[in-house]
Amino acid sequence: MTMSMNNPDPSSLIQFENVSKKYGAFHALRNVSFEIKEGEIVGFLGPNGAGKTTAMRILSGFFPPTSGRVFVRGIDMFKHPHEAKRAIGYLPETVSLYPDMKVIEYLQFVARLKGVSAHELRGHILNKMSFCGLLDSGHRLIGRLSKGYRQRVGIAQALVGDPPALILDEPTTGLDPTQIKEIRELIRALGQNRAVILSTHILPEVSMLCNRVMMINQGQILASGTVPELATCLKDREAIHIRILDKKDQNLALKILGSIPGVEALKTEEEVRGEIFISFETSPELDLRPRIMKLFVEQGISLAEIQRQQLTLEDIFLGLLKNGKLGGRFS
Amino acid sequence: MRKVLTIARKEFSGCFHSWLGVLMAAFFFLASGAFFVILVLNYSKISMNPQQYGLSNFSGINQTQYILGSFFSNLSIMLLFLAPILTMRSFSEEKRQETLELLFTYPLSDFEIVAGKQLGILWFFAALLLPLAGYLAVFRSIGGEFEWIPVLLGFLGFWLLGSAYLAAGVFISSLTKNPIVSALGTFSVLLVFWIFDWVDDIATGPWAHVFSELSPLAHYKNFTLGILDVQDVVFFCFFFFYFLFLTLRSIETRNWKS
Repeated sequence: MTMSMNNPDPSSLIQFENVSKKYGAFHALRNVSFEIKEGEIVGFLGPNGAGKTTAMRILSGFFPPTSGRVFVRGIDMFKHPHEAKRAIGYLPETVSLYPDMKVIEYLQFVARLKGVSAHELRGHILNKMSFCGLLDSGHRLIGRLSKGYRQRVGIAQALVGDPPALILDEPTTGLDPTQIKEIRELIRALGQNRAVILSTHILPEVSMLCNRVMMINQGQILASGTVPELATCLKDREAIHIRILDKKDQNLALKILGSIPGVEALKTEEEVRGEIFISFETSPELDLRPRIMKLFVEQGISLAEIQRQQLTLEDIFLGLLKNGKLGGRFS
Repeated sequence: MRKVLTIARKEFSGCFHSWLGVLMAAFFFLASGAFFVILVLNYSKISMNPQQYGLSNFSGINQTQYILGSFFSNLSIMLLFLAPILTMRSFSEEKRQETLELLFTYPLSDFEIVAGKQLGILWFFAALLLPLAGYLAVFRSIGGEFEWIPVLLGFLGFWLLGSAYLAAGVFISSLTKNPIVSALGTFSVLLVFWIFDWVDDIATGPWAHVFSELSPLAHYKNFTLGILDVQDVVFFCFFFFYFLFLTLRSIETRNWKS
């Protein structure tokens, strides 16, 4: 660890080393370290306020961390910001562009600021516009574009200057389903020859787009792994949901379930009109349903329903959030 | 440098995109034109019969001094309104629309951003001054006479005063998200500086003198009289760069504020 502090690994495109960010007394990021290599699509997953945007803003060079270091292609982001920022394209959470500029005018402005040379400028911009499907909208005012098209302009401005790393903060938030599909296709195409880091709180989006996922909560990385890795974790867990008709039986049922070996994360989910919903996690190899039914019938518990379900990414994620810690499952 | 010019050009053309700049230019020409016409008419009236106005020796008042000197003095009052409106959008608008965030992630230094924005506004202000030369042409064609050096000094002084006011306006604009707050803030600050100019008239002592020396208008007065004093030029340069420095510090606060 101490070695890499002084010599950033040249093979990784982006490196976070013990990065912390504080806003006054509030810790937005705590000691976060990770690496991202070329050709990866990495998803930052976490609830609102988890620290995703802070991490992305540090990565984009918007502000420096309170402590820790960030390297882009081995260049220290806050010692040599010009060189490092050239390697990064950033799409902020709220895509705010100058509403009174035309699309083509705006992209020219961005290209000049990013140092695209004057004789390449036109071809470069047309290339980005055609990639993002903006060729027909070049002379429209940005303020008059639909949200989906504005998002495309946002992606186009991130692409200007051909940065090897793209940072997209919630790229599909606030779009309608068709637009979401289009933007996702765009992102998939982008990931073919660069590193893409995107943040989202939509779980399926991660499995659709990313080949690596980092779960973030309260400024810390809870878990990090490839999507197949996560999927294997999911396969060896399943949830069993039980519905009981009578509230009086609740304590007895919980007591019985708690005594069965292999039952984990036992909890009462909710109570609807006197009916009690209980759930727990178990491994799929041992099917506990017949045993539970037998025990409940013997004790005269009014069992209405028993159902097994594979754990979704959502369940794992919620579990992680609740415990705040990970039992070494993914890391 | 190319990046500074790119931002300056965007800032300059932005003044025309919004109609605000065009409206301000129109207002400026209308009002300055009215001042000029009134001064010329006034002068011709007095010159017919100077005794009636208590002026026994009319040759002591020359046309350059009476018309153009007063003209530049009047323009300085207009700047109190013009500068807040021209600068209210520069940073406030970008903060409000959150477009500043993207600018900070491009390979640009904070100085390039501030310098570009300041330069763009100075260009627009300089463009406002050019047509004023038209008044001189009209004045010439109706038979007026003036000396070139004092007039050029008047222009120089007005441009320096304007630059100083605009730098203050850009700084105040960098403090708030709300353009209206920015305009009112700039107006109040400029008003305070204007009041400094009176302190010497109503109070005595070394402090009164310090205050009046701090007033841009006191330093501008020499220019309208056709006097070039290095002290005045140094004052305006200091005023301008001081506010430029404050603006730079103000946008750096994002590094530690949430």
